[in-house]
Amino acid sequence: MPVPEPESASAESQSLTKAQKKAEGRARQEQQRAAKAAQKQQQQSGQNAGSSSNKSKGSTVQKKPASESNKLSSAAASSSKDAPTTREGAVGADGLSDGPKSRGLRIFSHFGLPKTPGHQIKGDIHPAIVKLGLQFSEFKICGANARCIATLTAFKTVIQDYVTPPHNTLSRHLMTHLSPQITHLVTARPMSVTMGNAIRQLKLEISGSDIDLPEQDAKDALCQEIDNYIRDRIIIADEVIEDLAVKKIKDGDVVLTYARSSLVEKILLRAHSLNKRFSVVVIDSRPLLEGKTLLHSLTSVIPPIPCTYALLPALPSLITDADIVLLGAHSLHANGSVYSRAGTAMVAMLAKEHSVPVMLCCETYKFSETVMLDGFGKNELAPMKFSLDAPKSNSNLEVLNPLYDSTPASCITAVVTEVGLIPPTSISSIPLALGRTTL
Amino acid sequence: MDDFQIYKSYQRLLKNEDLSTPLAAILALTEMMEQSNAGTMFELLTELKGAAEALSRQSLNPIGLKAGCELFIEFITLFPHDAASFSELKTELIRQGQRYAEQALAYRAKIAELAFDFIKDDSVILTHSYSRVVLQTLLLAHKRKRISGEISGSNSTCECFSSHVLCFSVFVTEARPRGMGIKTAEMLTAAGIPCTVVLDSAVAYAIDKVDFVLMGSEAVVESGGLVNAVGSNQIAIIAKAANKPFYALAESYKFHRMFPLSQYDLPSHNPGVLSFPQTMSARARPASSGLPSKASSVLFDNGSPIRITQEDIARNNPDVDYTRPDLISLVFSDVGSLTPEGVSQYLVGMFAG
Repeated sequence: MPVPEPESASAESQSLTKAQKKAEGRARQEQQRAAKAAQKQQQQSGQNAGSSSNKSKGSTVQKKPASESNKLSSAAASSSKDAPTTREGAVGADGLSDGPKSRGLRIFSHFGLPKTPGHQIKGDIHPAIVKLGLQFSEFKICGANARCIATLTAFKTVIQDYVTPPHNTLSRHLMTHLSPQITHLVTARPMSVTMGNAIRQLKLEISGSDIDLPEQDAKDALCQEIDNYIRDRIIIADEVIEDLAVKKIKDGDVVLTYARSSLVEKILLRAHSLNKRFSVVVIDSRPLLEGKTLLHSLTSVIPPIPCTYALLPALPSLITDADIVLLGAHSLHANGSVYSRAGTAMVAMLAKEHSVPVMLCCETYKFSETVMLDGFGKNELAPMKFSLDAPKSNSNLEVLNPLYDSTPASCITAVVTEVGLIPPTSISSIPLALGRTTL
Repeated sequence: MDDFQIYKSYQRLLKNEDLSTPLAAILALTEMMEQSNAGTMFELLTELKGAAEALSRQSLNPIGLKAGCELFIEFITLFPHDAASFSELKTELIRQGQRYAEQALAYRAKIAELAFDFIKDDSVILTHSYSRVVLQTLLLAHKRKRISGEISGSNSTCECFSSHVLCFSVFVTEARPRGMGIKTAEMLTAAGIPCTVVLDSAVAYAIDKVDFVLMGSEAVVESGGLVNAVGSNQIAIIAKAANKPFYALAESYKFHRMFPLSQYDLPSHNPGVLSFPQTMSARARPASSGLPSKASSVLFDNGSPIRITQEDIARNNPDVDYTRPDLISLVFSDVGSLTPEGVSQYLVGMFAG
């Protein structure tokens, strides 16, 4: 965007002083970072030792498969190896991210900015949470369901390793122990609605746990509650949704989907296993290109599902062939609008325009009692690593990759939940979605 | 009671003019319960579900019937089990079923009361096919308006006469293929309500003269939409295009937990609907020996003209269609006047809670 002459001059003078300030700030940051890196190195080596000892113990605490912990330890090792060189790397990265930041990102400055992977660790953070934070910020664990399950699983470890300090009760104190852990996860990546709902439920369970219960029993009970939550609200819910949604896929249908939703993937695979003859159009978009993963899993079954893969600009020519659109969601709001991967709104609107029914697949625990009017109030930006091919030299260019958008209720034909197919506006009348698990 | 018997009793109940399909289904199920020798609740429910399944299998258009069965089975499942013995509980359930059917007959009067307020003097109403609740509403409105007309204009008899007769008038669509609209027109004319039958294809022509549309329903589905005699959807679309209110009338037992995504997602849709007559063209083609002659489009080779009868047309056409919720202004039911969103919330609250 060309900037008018006088303004640019003033901006220059400003940027001069800004640059000075920035230089100072950077020097200070550098010092902190060096100290932090050293600290982290220590911690990570400690964590490495911990994880290896866990492995030797048979990994009772760490529920993750061995391969993942391997990956983590190698990643940690590589980062610790990088630690001396992080200075240069960080400066480079800062220079890159400072560009758009200094230009203010104008109206988008309130979006959750992508975090650099090695963000600060404040206070007493459990290694499992540190690991999870890294996985979140690196987008190794991505997607509302996966993040919620991973968070709850990590909290189970935290709860098991927690010891109530003397003169305290578990029901009163555990939450103060968990709060910094949650804060750490939020600094890694803004909290998802699913995590928020699950944590609220967990808080309720903690505050309600019996004071007279022996500590280990109380911890076991809490872990059991977490397992139940994962089972009831996610795993079983997904199975019910699969059953309901599969009924709407008929022989000869062309199913169109956008990006990748774990639930949509499961539905399509289930429909395939029921010998339904249908084909899939996978629409995808930069920066995450998650559709590729979906495409891979759909084509690697035997016999492979016939698939078409196209990017969002090709949608208008493909939507006319579609019989049904299946979409996933990050969260569903009280006014019926759907917060989902950026591009979903476009797919839903175009489908409505061509009167193709749009089915949104979403568990009730993804319901949020807030009202969402557009995608600007709340959003998140994709990290820099997904926009590497953007020209870096042009300082007038700001790269903006919002991760989510908001689809109005009018563009959604039906929401498939574990309590049945409902219109998007009726989600608020389901007691289960409001957290009331009993009638 | 076997599958055939329950269907027979259902058919017998349907002969009663006042009973709509959901109520007939509920009564058929209570009759089945009377004869059932199930010893436990589980057995009874299994039997009921089997009977409901059998009924909908044998019926050509099972939507309304399913709504009734669904409601009854839900009621039985949730009924408090505080009777001393199972047989006592069963008689209580049967009694409740019969009482519900009795009470449900009064629902139409309730709906008529609600809809009556929307019928202003001199309004022109469009209705489709034959619906007991629409008919009852119109008759009630006619009776009330005539009385109020007589009271207000009692001193000038001549004017009174013209005002009370013309207090509102009705367009009724013919509603092919069953032609049930003619029955409505006959009954309205007999009651003294000015009434004209319009062709199904003339709705768009007539819509500018119409003040609002009153529509009965076979079922109101979870999206807030409507399943009704074929043609309702097109009337709704035309009413929307002409900015006329579209009011649906439905007793609450017609609320059905079903979510059709499109017309072809209805349970009444089968591959035969809107299919192209393969047999006829297959027969015609070899006979016409390659080159189409001028006459081949209307005549077989043997010279007999191709006749398409009304039955042929009806066979390939749907009985019911689905009206999207965004085309509906209000749904009047015995639980109140609801917006389509309100209907879906009521249904979700009733069944998904």
